[in-house]
Amino acid sequence: MLKKKIVNNLLRIVGEKNALTEEAKLKSFSVENVQPGIVLFPNEIEQVSEIMKLASKESISVIPWGSGTKSALGNLPESVDVVISTKNLDLIIEHGASDLVATTQCGITLKKFQSALNKERQFLAIDPPHVGRKATVGGIIATNDSGPERFRYGTLREFLIGLKVVRADGSIFKGGSKVVKNVAGYDLPKLYVGSLGTLGIIVEATFRLYPVPEYSETYIVGFSTLEDAHNTVSTLLKSDLVITSLEILNPELVGSLTKRNDLDLIDDLYTLAIGIKNVEKAVKDQISTLKMICNQNGGKGKLIIGAQEEQLWEDIRDFPWELFKAERVVCKASVVVTQIPQVLTTLKRLSDEYGIKTYISARAGNGILIISIKGKLSSIIDSLNSLRSFVSSIGGHLILQEAPPEIKARVQVWGDFGSGLGIMKKIKLNFDPNNLLNPGRYI
Amino acid sequence: MTTQHKSKSLSWKKKFRDKLIEIIGATGVISSDDELIAYECDALTGYRIKPIFVVLPKTTEEVSAVIKECHHENIPFVPRGAGTGLSGGALPTEEGIVISLSRMTKILDVDIPNQRVVVEPGVVNISVTNAVSSSGYYYAPDPSSQIVCTIGGNVAENSGGVHCLKYGVTTNHVLGLEMVLPDGEIIEVGGKTLDHPGYDLTGLVVGSEGLLGIVTKVTLKIIKKPEAVKTLLASFDHIEDAGDSVSGITARGVIPAGMEIMDSFCIRAVEEAVGAGYPIDAGAILLVELDGPTAEVQAQLPIVEEVLKENNAIQIKVAKDAKERELFWKGRKSAFPAMGRISPDYYVQDGVIPRSKLAEVLREIEELSKKYGLRVANVFHAGDGNLHPLVLYDSSKEGDLDKTLELAGEILQVCVDKGGSITGEHGVGHDKKRFLSLMFDENDLDTMNLLRCAFDTKGLCNPGKLFPTPRTCVEPGMKPFKEHPVQKAGLGEMY
Repeated sequence: MLKKKIVNNLLRIVGEKNALTEEAKLKSFSVENVQPGIVLFPNEIEQVSEIMKLASKESISVIPWGSGTKSALGNLPESVDVVISTKNLDLIIEHGASDLVATTQCGITLKKFQSALNKERQFLAIDPPHVGRKATVGGIIATNDSGPERFRYGTLREFLIGLKVVRADGSIFKGGSKVVKNVAGYDLPKLYVGSLGTLGIIVEATFRLYPVPEYSETYIVGFSTLEDAHNTVSTLLKSDLVITSLEILNPELVGSLTKRNDLDLIDDLYTLAIGIKNVEKAVKDQISTLKMICNQNGGKGKLIIGAQEEQLWEDIRDFPWELFKAERVVCKASVVVTQIPQVLTTLKRLSDEYGIKTYISARAGNGILIISIKGKLSSIIDSLNSLRSFVSSIGGHLILQEAPPEIKARVQVWGDFGSGLGIMKKIKLNFDPNNLLNPGRYI
Repeated sequence: MTTQHKSKSLSWKKKFRDKLIEIIGATGVISSDDELIAYECDALTGYRIKPIFVVLPKTTEEVSAVIKECHHENIPFVPRGAGTGLSGGALPTEEGIVISLSRMTKILDVDIPNQRVVVEPGVVNISVTNAVSSSGYYYAPDPSSQIVCTIGGNVAENSGGVHCLKYGVTTNHVLGLEMVLPDGEIIEVGGKTLDHPGYDLTGLVVGSEGLLGIVTKVTLKIIKKPEAVKTLLASFDHIEDAGDSVSGITARGVIPAGMEIMDSFCIRAVEEAVGAGYPIDAGAILLVELDGPTAEVQAQLPIVEEVLKENNAIQIKVAKDAKERELFWKGRKSAFPAMGRISPDYYVQDGVIPRSKLAEVLREIEELSKKYGLRVANVFHAGDGNLHPLVLYDSSKEGDLDKTLELAGEILQVCVDKGGSITGEHGVGHDKKRFLSLMFDENDLDTMNLLRCAFDTKGLCNPGKLFPTPRTCVEPGMKPFKEHPVQKAGLGEMY
């Protein structure tokens, strides 16, 4: 419970109309079912600073909040006193089209930001899920979220070149710069990508941009065996093709996707979804080569373009959150590319052994598998721990992206942080000495 | 914090030397004056300091043991790769040692199917590409010193090269590190796999200029060689036209692998030195390299040629084979050494500006050159706005060096004023620490210090670099002292 005096001081900073204090309204800003005492909507960076100064003085916990699409990511929170929403910090500061650089406040939704950039035929090369649910630029940076196109472009750490942050004590600092090539000072933007709001509130970000590719086509192709699918992937990776997205979909996922829309995919097969974006001639040439390679391995595929293509990729990005509306269990495994078949085979074995269903999309060129699980609680717990054991034994790691508290109680969210954990804890201690920001959820 | 040292006694030095020999062996410890001279500076030869000793460890354990000894004795230490750095990053400290990584030269793992190579820090940059070239792969970051510079040095400075526009810099290709912290602890961060849980310590250490510890293993990403490459050499009467061409090309949605500009000073010097076939009387030349799938390069070539013509290119040559391509690049890569033909000394800077401001910045540099009466030759990575103004001077002339440093400082101020940076790839080191405050205010520098203190509370790891003034490390979590009511009432004491 927040003391009345503190609430009044907070209201004085943002103004009463930029705050929520009623029970009914606070519920939708809960973090893992823990309701905050107040939600604030500052509309200036200075206000965020004032809030943090007060929070530091009074030792109250603060949860930075974009649209909350990924609030399930992390350990159960230690405390949820104040939620700071970045909703009103949504101005695009600058778009230097001839420099391929743009700066924006971080409360802006990715959708709105991309729209503005598209006007100059440019874009931020990131395709995470939750865009339809209004994911914000700040939240995407804080969670280092990504999608299939990371294969071609990389992730946010590759494009975030500068930022402005409000630290736990209210001080405002900037890191990086507004030019792509810069090595002055430590690379603080890298520290904040994926930091889950535990080191400060990211209020402004500068990105390097890319020109929007002229044209795209997707080839979706099923194989009788996982081995055939994987051999195709290996050949594609060694080839001269410059592929934008390369996903392996497991049979369960293919079945679900087919049910959801009229893609008329071939059910029950390991399937590759391969996207190529470039100038039209380069796309068509490469798709041609691609088809040959797939045919050589017995693949049966079809070309998908236009609105259907867009829908397919949206489904692939968002499937864990679209297939199931409640009781979601979503995890991300990371291994090296050649080990993907082993993980898929292990998941098949665990499914049979524990009677669970697994829906998987693997970033075949990155070694990342996004896995959605359905089944009995105890079966899921056992299979997750088993999966983590296996993945760790081959040098990879497993992270829980979303799961009910009963599962988080028995399966570690983050797994092993490695021998750098000591330094990470020192960093957290230095940046947030009173452990106010998202306490308990991460480092 | 830069620890103050009194001059160490001879007997202390002997004891310390014995300890180092115990760890590394006699052949790994350099203590004679004439041998130490070679380590007095890196490629920024204007500043020289002799270290007490230089050690050349061969293993991570040796590096750790040496650092533990330094930590115990409060001796500062400076890591060094090949000593090709241009910002004085490997400049020794007074009464400190140099830890050279030049004996750690093993390539530990070449994993082609997963596109990973693991190396020790002393491995020369070009050796990585050489190890994977026959399989059709290469290591993309290609600084001009790549036949000599080491991966460890590249990691420290986050080195670039001529292909960063499309392929990024060192940090975009380093996935994991093993490192020895300033207290001697060995940690591993990142690795072959992606999205490791925890803060991105790998990303923090790359570009940290050797202040956070010493890197002893690096996991690198290699990429497939492009299917097709096309290199164009265009000449212009006016350098502004070359600059406008660069903007024009990116505005048309083309991201070449690299774009480089050289002005007439450079062209003339380079032609005298290596005869690359550049037009001697051109105001500027622009090198554009396109790479990628054949159809993509074929589509981009006419667009680039169109933009060049629109911007008054006098002549456009397209390299007809690999040999001609190499010749086009030979000139650019010889630009710095070629300066020796037209000037006894030169001082190179490394400012970055937004690409769109190229023409106006060049005009301002020309004004400054006139103001100081010193020639400034310009060669730069036009694609990413990274300028290398070469201030030409004569160290034998009284006051020339001072004027040079002042002029260089003004150029950096211009870069920052235009929204750029004081260093795009050479690092701050010793050379530019006095300019760091042009870009960062007290809050920004305090925040960077918070980071450094998490790694190095004693301030022994490469002190005196990067930060303009020494900063101490405050005990984290220290709250302002508040008297307990019981104490206040005189009824009890707090322990």
